[in-house]
Amino acid sequence: MAIMISIPAGITANQASTETLTQNLSNTITQTEATINQTLTQIDCTLSPSFEGFGFEPPNTGDASGFTPPDGSSGFAPGDFGGGSMPGRFGGGPFGGGGTTAMNETLYEDISSIEGVAAVASSLQASEGTEQTMEMMGRSFTRFVPDYIIKGVPLTSDLSDNYPILPTNITAGRNLQAGESGVVILSENNTAFFNAGVGDTIDILDQSFQVIGIYGSSGVEDVMTLYMNLSDAQSVTNNTGYITSITVFAASSNVVSTVASDISSLHPELTIVTGQQRLDQLETLRDTYEVQLENAYASLAQTQAVAVQEIVIAVAATSLIVLFVMLYTVRERTKEIGTLKAIGFSNLNIMSQFMLEGVILSLMAGVVGVVIGVFAAPALSGLLLPAVNAGFGGAFARAAGTVSSVSGVVTPELVLIALGGAVLLGVLGTLYPAWRASRTSPMEALRYE
Amino acid sequence: MSNVALKTEKMGRVYKLGGRQVQALSDVNLEIEKGDFISIMGPSGSGKTTLLNVLGCLDKPTHGKVLLDGVDITNVAERNLHKTRKHKIGFVFQTFNLMPWLNAVENVELPMEGTGKTKEETRKRAVELLNMVGLSERKEHRPQKLSAGEQQRVAIARALANNPAIVLADEVTGNLDGKTKLEIMKLLGKLNAEQETTIVIVTHDGQVASMAGRILFLSDGKLIAKEKQGTHQNK
Repeated sequence: MAIMISIPAGITANQASTETLTQNLSNTITQTEATINQTLTQIDCTLSPSFEGFGFEPPNTGDASGFTPPDGSSGFAPGDFGGGSMPGRFGGGPFGGGGTTAMNETLYEDISSIEGVAAVASSLQASEGTEQTMEMMGRSFTRFVPDYIIKGVPLTSDLSDNYPILPTNITAGRNLQAGESGVVILSENNTAFFNAGVGDTIDILDQSFQVIGIYGSSGVEDVMTLYMNLSDAQSVTNNTGYITSITVFAASSNVVSTVASDISSLHPELTIVTGQQRLDQLETLRDTYEVQLENAYASLAQTQAVAVQEIVIAVAATSLIVLFVMLYTVRERTKEIGTLKAIGFSNLNIMSQFMLEGVILSLMAGVVGVVIGVFAAPALSGLLLPAVNAGFGGAFARAAGTVSSVSGVVTPELVLIALGGAVLLGVLGTLYPAWRASRTSPMEALRYE
Repeated sequence: MSNVALKTEKMGRVYKLGGRQVQALSDVNLEIEKGDFISIMGPSGSGKTTLLNVLGCLDKPTHGKVLLDGVDITNVAERNLHKTRKHKIGFVFQTFNLMPWLNAVENVELPMEGTGKTKEETRKRAVELLNMVGLSERKEHRPQKLSAGEQQRVAIARALANNPAIVLADEVTGNLDGKTKLEIMKLLGKLNAEQETTIVIVTHDGQVASMAGRILFLSDGKLIAKEKQGTHQNK
């Protein structure tokens, strides 16, 4: 009975968790598709931190910040392209990748004059957070845990009105407007961190900003990003004149590859990702999601199959136990049956007495089983059912929300079903023994020792 | 109504045992009047138990008639025989066969289940019967707390519950010591004398048999002699 109650409880929990997973995955895929359509004419240019020959120290693995931007005090001469003193971390864009580094914006003004370029948006992105050190297998790892990501975008009327440089799904307040300064829009997740809403003033790196709008998450990755004017971002992070990426918008999707190669020949140090490449990456991402979705369904189906097998085995075993116990009882009480028949009890009397006993016995077992089940369902269902979410990656787990271990939930309906099942099994298992008891010949039964 | 409690006419019982026919009883002509106290004696395999089974409506004869209180039980359908047993027959067994989970008074009440009596009537009758067999002080005891003699008294009270036409006692003294054996036989004699209960006991104990009013001998399925004529026992 405990098994009977734990398995459906576990299945319900598994089902709920897979449904959440499915929901989140399909949302992600939809959002990814929207992003793909938006970015066909977009070319992203970043400077790799490992780019050599430009005055940069290669990333130091012992240093959690990933790289040390050279400045005067550190003894390195500022490089031709890089520089600045950025607190926190750069990068954290949708595709993570190898990270980005700061570049001097004046060096890239010539990109806008390349033929086929419709607009150029330089932006600065920096993550703020804390370092966390953890021990694993005798080694110490330092991990950067971001609290929020600052993204400064150029708020010129041409860019903010015509190109997708700002989030579009404003859920409260309003979006940033051309020429604005001292104001930010937060993601819904940022509101919790800053404990602020529209109209409130928040402190970012010791400078005050007013929150004028909140935007809803448009994808799993940029939920921690807050937007402000590029010049504000440069001043607050002490990076005046520096940017972390250049987004080039081609006039049409036909000229994207030409523009990309022109940028590349002009500035070979830049890492260039075109809309098409981005599309490919997104398609890959989508495929990954779909595979994971299939795995989730397969896992659920497998769990259900195992559950059905286990319930069938449990039911069969229970019926057989009742059958044998009652057969034994009937055998043990042969003489009693003979006596009852001799003193005038009918076959029906005998049969109903044994049926009643079998049902009461099973019902009592059922109650004990339910009590055990209520306490043991989480542990038992975990033990009896395969884990539904095993093997899902970090990003996927994040997409799925809280994906924890499956635990069984015992509902009143389940208790009633289990008790009803107990009665049914009692009836099934007792039917034959009771029938045999009723057919016992009283003469033989009386002679039985 | 005639004075005959039980009568058999050319009654026979044949068993089929592995393709072979065994004549357990043949041409038994027996007449038991109301108030008779009869003992049936015979060696093992003489057909005593078969006779008792047939008389007790646990088994049907293959030949002849069995008239119980004027009704031919060979004409009663198998599924209705339990009613005849309940109302016309009282069984007393060698091993007492009391229900271990019921106390004395509940054991006596058992045959009265489903006879239409109220709970109070049933209890009154059971207490009355236990008083009659001399167990008024041991009513609430379970069988395992009673001595063998006391258990047999409860069994006798149970047999009398529905005022049967005949009480059939199968080796009722077989599990009792000498003193208790005599006490039980005296009790049966008393019931026979005072309540005019018709009693048939089957035994191979000559001393026990001699306490009945009439002794019948059974050999190879046939009644071979009648002895000591008379209705009631005389002691």
